[in-house]
Amino acid sequence: MRIGTAVALSVDRRAATVTVLIWVLVLALVVFTLGTGPQGSWPAAVISHLRGVEGDAAAGFVLERLRGPRVIVAVGVGVALGLAGALFQTVTRNPLGSPDVIGLGAGAGAGVALATLWWPGQVPAMMGAVLGAGAAALLVHQATGRGFSSPARVIVTGIAVSAMAHAITQYVVAVGLRDSAHQLAAYLVGSLGTRTFQDAGLIGASLLVLAPLVLLLSHRLTLMDLGDDLADSLGVGAVRVRTAAIILAVLLAAVAVAVAGPIAFVALTAPHIARRLTRRPGANLAASATLGALIVVSADLLVQQLSVLDGLPVGIVTAGLGGVYLGYLLIHEWRKASA
Amino acid sequence: MPPSPGSAHRRWSASARIILIHLLALMVLALVCAASIAYGSRPAPLGEVWEALHGSGEEHLQAVVDARIPRTVLGSVVGAALALSGVLIQALTRNPLAEPGLLGITMGASASMVTVVAVAGPVSGVAAAWTAVPGAVLAVLVVQLIGARARAGSVVPLILAGAVVSAVLGAYVQAMILLRPDTFDSYRHWVVGSLAGARPETLGDLAPMLLLGALLAVLLVSGLNTLALGEGVAVSLGVRVGWLRLGTVTAVTLLAAAATAAIGPVAFVGLAVPHLVRGIVGSDVRLQATVSVPVGAALLVASDVVARVILRPEELMVGMLTAFIGAPMLLLAVRRGKVRL
Repeated sequence: MRIGTAVALSVDRRAATVTVLIWVLVLALVVFTLGTGPQGSWPAAVISHLRGVEGDAAAGFVLERLRGPRVIVAVGVGVALGLAGALFQTVTRNPLGSPDVIGLGAGAGAGVALATLWWPGQVPAMMGAVLGAGAAALLVHQATGRGFSSPARVIVTGIAVSAMAHAITQYVVAVGLRDSAHQLAAYLVGSLGTRTFQDAGLIGASLLVLAPLVLLLSHRLTLMDLGDDLADSLGVGAVRVRTAAIILAVLLAAVAVAVAGPIAFVALTAPHIARRLTRRPGANLAASATLGALIVVSADLLVQQLSVLDGLPVGIVTAGLGGVYLGYLLIHEWRKASA
Repeated sequence: MPPSPGSAHRRWSASARIILIHLLALMVLALVCAASIAYGSRPAPLGEVWEALHGSGEEHLQAVVDARIPRTVLGSVVGAALALSGVLIQALTRNPLAEPGLLGITMGASASMVTVVAVAGPVSGVAAAWTAVPGAVLAVLVVQLIGARARAGSVVPLILAGAVVSAVLGAYVQAMILLRPDTFDSYRHWVVGSLAGARPETLGDLAPMLLLGALLAVLLVSGLNTLALGEGVAVSLGVRVGWLRLGTVTAVTLLAAAATAAIGPVAFVGLAVPHLVRGIVGSDVRLQATVSVPVGAALLVASDVVARVILRPEELMVGMLTAFIGAPMLLLAVRRGKVRL
């Protein structure tokens, strides 16, 4: 697909099919999320409500206040995290170099926490998140000594930076905001409870701005896969593309954290699963984004519907499942590498 | 250095240096402990503290000082245990980043305690200490299982496996605490380690585990010293590497689990102290072990003092401060290229 000279997308048929299929699945889950549960309104009611047919007031309340914004935020956050992970993993050439490992999520969380502690109501959470994520990325970049080019260093320094960021957030929870400690404890691990249409608007607007930029970059990212030198010789400018991609990834991760808190392991696993499904190396931006949405929406559905998990923040589910998947992946990859 | 005739003299001065280092470390520990008793969220003039210690001070201050003594002692013991376990595991894996916190051991112990409390209600006494062990063992096994598949010679797989295990277990602990806020209100320290509310009895309950761990450490440390020369050399010198490995992992698990059972998960003390000590005494594992005991104790108690003083009259959790002291050490170690990654 080619739009002028700026945008050229190589559309792989398998990748396209996978992406479309996952989108369908996401939509189905969204309708299901809206329509089930003790105060559910069945899919027919949901659809008629969405088409503007006046249903009963209770269903309208559930849709517009309780589940509607929440599910939109879930999709948006998933897309943002999936894109951020795909960008980061591509430019660091490190399948584990995702926002989670690098401490972006934790940094953004700490930024939000500090912003609410120091300037409550004056500095928007978004700003704190961007500053925190940026600081974490910068710290990792500096501490590795070689930018983001050494995967091993990125991983180890990222772990240290996240530990410090977590300490900051814990500090805010323990000291500053004792009254709302329970709510903040949920926010710490990423929660979608009590989201409003304002949150949905924030994540939607940010994606509207950021996603086209990612699209503009995607062609150059594909060339980066050939290696810095070759990319440079093709006129791509590896360093500039890398910087741009990292800035975009930081912004995407920060938006997601600002709305929902650091939801763990989505940015890391979505691109992995995307690579497996599309059987294509490289960024797989569209597939990663949809998979991110699928992961967050299904995790949120689990939290809402499984009574064992009732009332838990969604990040706990993604941390648990994502962690197990990551462990499996590590064993698998390393066995392959050592064989 | 030119060859000098007085090699006996040099040996003497070397051992004098070692004694001096130990004395210095103990002095630092004593000073820090004194500070820990004197300073806290409530400031107290030193003279009155001294009177209170002799049982002749004001009643209120007497109570404050009395509460600070078990806190200081427990802090020293936990710091020493974490530092010693860090030295042991770093020597065994020959990996300068190995640390019970980074390897998921402390979070495993924490998850174990939380599970038992959730199922059986609050536990106390010696049993409470041992409930930390199964989780710690499980974490060690899983991290080994994941990390051991990787190519040899890199420290990243173990660290990454530890981070993954810690993240999953941390989420589990958070979940339990959020699900049962009433049960866990007084146990928030199982998310981040804290010395607030330290009780003197805890020490007695933990003593068997700590002593067992320390005893194993004493038995194993010279074998670990030989292992530093390389596994082939160690085997040819008669070190039974299999037993050494098993014993060391057991000692590390016991020490870290006891520390976690006492005050909750505290990361980076086991990383920072061996780094610091190695810089002073060099590569001898025996010296590292003996020096890191007082240094670890001093570091944790000092962190706790800062945690109490920095935001008077509020108190911070000591685990947050150790993250801010230890994590930069990790960054520096990577930045300076001291770690083979």
